[in-house]
Amino acid sequence: MCSPSLDDRSAPRADEAERICLVACQAVTHANAADSQAYINRVRAEIEAEAEARRRRDPELERREREIERMWIEVAPPGAAGSQGELLLDRADRLAMIDVDVPLGSKPGIRQMKGVIRKGAYWYLRYVADQVNALNNVLTRLLRRFDERITALEAAAGVGDGDGLAGSVPEPTDAVADVVASVLGPQAGRTMVLGCGSGVLVRPLHDAGIAVHGVDRDALEILPGVRDGLDLRAAEPAAHLAEARPGEFGAVVAAGFVEDLGPTAAQRIVEQSVAAVGNGTVVILASDPGDRGVVERELRAGRGLSPATWGYLFERVGATVELVETTDLRLRTLVVARLA
Amino acid sequence: MNAVRVHQFTAAIGPRDAVSHHTFEVDTLLRDLGYESEIFAQHVHPDLRDRVRDYRLHADLEADIVLYQASTGSPVADYVLTRTEPLIVNYHNLTPAEMFDPWEPHIGAELDFGRRQLGRLARKASHGLADSRFNAAELEAAGLGDVVVAPVLFDPPRLRRSGTIDVGEPPTLLFVGRLSPNKCQEDLIAATAALRQWIPEARLELVGATSSHRYETALRDYAQRVCPGGVKFAGSVSDVQLADAYAHADVFVCLSEHEGFCVPVIEAMATGTPVVAFAAAVLPETIGTAGVLLDDKSPTNVAVALQRVLTDRELRAQLVENGRLRAATFSPERNRSVMREALRRVVEECV
Repeated sequence: MCSPSLDDRSAPRADEAERICLVACQAVTHANAADSQAYINRVRAEIEAEAEARRRRDPELERREREIERMWIEVAPPGAAGSQGELLLDRADRLAMIDVDVPLGSKPGIRQMKGVIRKGAYWYLRYVADQVNALNNVLTRLLRRFDERITALEAAAGVGDGDGLAGSVPEPTDAVADVVASVLGPQAGRTMVLGCGSGVLVRPLHDAGIAVHGVDRDALEILPGVRDGLDLRAAEPAAHLAEARPGEFGAVVAAGFVEDLGPTAAQRIVEQSVAAVGNGTVVILASDPGDRGVVERELRAGRGLSPATWGYLFERVGATVELVETTDLRLRTLVVARLA
Repeated sequence: MNAVRVHQFTAAIGPRDAVSHHTFEVDTLLRDLGYESEIFAQHVHPDLRDRVRDYRLHADLEADIVLYQASTGSPVADYVLTRTEPLIVNYHNLTPAEMFDPWEPHIGAELDFGRRQLGRLARKASHGLADSRFNAAELEAAGLGDVVVAPVLFDPPRLRRSGTIDVGEPPTLLFVGRLSPNKCQEDLIAATAALRQWIPEARLELVGATSSHRYETALRDYAQRVCPGGVKFAGSVSDVQLADAYAHADVFVCLSEHEGFCVPVIEAMATGTPVVAFAAAVLPETIGTAGVLLDDKSPTNVAVALQRVLTDRELRAQLVENGRLRAATFSPERNRSVMREALRRVVEECV
């Protein structure tokens, strides 16, 4: 083997030495390759001939070989060893049925005894099969009851829509926040942002001189915005909205949590926000399920209404709805409902 | 000008896993080439969480090129397929599902899923990297036109041995690889049982963790029946123990039906252990003329080959010499150099 002595202090020289060595090794390899190949081929042929000769000399060898292979078939599952097709079918056939028709042909006394055994075996197998079926039915019903109990518990805990499973919705980008601020304008009046996160949506409204506060259920999430002097509060957004007095706000902006709501909860948000703004404006930031990332789509499968559906719900309560396009890939469309 | 961002994605990252090691090596090469690089996976071993991120937490990640390490079916592949950046697939082979079906149908289903994902990846990817020509052919058959053969990056054990049989020690046959139906450890046990007719003290050492407990149970039962006391199941071992296993082995024998590259064969050759193998899948390509390749792996045939290698000094010397030359062509430095050049080429063509 060609093993170069490399000087570690000089990496380029080491590389060069290694390269030269490799080239030398390859040259030797090429030179000897033909001889080596011929030699190995000859050895292979000799091995096969020797194995064949030993089998001829010693018939016991072949029997022993079959015995070794048979033992593997015994411990391996159907289909894993031996001649695959026939063996698999044979074993499946034997495993798939129980033959209770014990042959009866014999002397009269023995035949009667066999008949009794057959009837007994038949009755016993029927009994066992019934028990297995009954157990299966009970287990299935238990699973259904279990599912009902979990659903009831989820509903009682307020996570029946899978809210707790989905994780947080990504915050809107600054570009979307700017669109919201321009839609509301400086005359928006007192504004509430539900699902405010760290305050991305609140900041441009605050900077525009609007009296605005944000609400988010995650106390840690709002901390950066609070440190920046924004009025952000830790509370459940839907509950906070429900506490608002009629006409108390000029505008309500809802983001994040609205993307997990089912139709009933969404309808409630529509009614309460319309009541809260009186003649003002409600803006809903909800992604279209088709615009969500693949992971988010998996986590929120079947949940969250599309912007068009939100628009329809607001129109039903008499709002004038405008769908405002943004450049954001996730929140392409904002739902702006004006009650004036 | 900002550095090109080439981020790697893979199903799982864990210690002492060949694809994980390769992924880390590729990460180093990408950084050496001046690219930005991060690794993302679905399953990350706790010890490696500082080096690998969970792909689900970075769905909005920005990249210029995505490099996917393909070795099994995974939701990560589905995620990668939704991304819009140019995609490079580094293919490490998928075991055919039917080999696992009788033992672990759920693994078979996962492999089948992976095979279907591979087709989609191949159609979307602009470039492919494959460990061997065998793997490259599979990737091309799946629909990818431009595939570069670049070896898997691994560090063989540093140990060297004399190539002579240890005096006083029983002849030891060695195989290194997970206990897995495609690696056919049952054929190794059968061959050892046949060999013990002529060399009663011969023994087999199987190094490697298990991919299927059902398969392992059957192997242990089988070994007890046909080769009592002659088979050692060493399980997963440390690098030092692995080097020790190669040092004490007299022959490395591999009777796998399916391998994508087979690093242990190169490790054995690098440590001066003669190799006997069944000529299937990638093994003729990996071994070349540096080992005894068998077309028939019936117990008697393999046993005769093993007996010949154990007792024929000239043949052993030739195999050891050829093996070391062959292993030198897969030296870590050379592998890294080839992979580095391949990465540079495909990234430049993608940008």
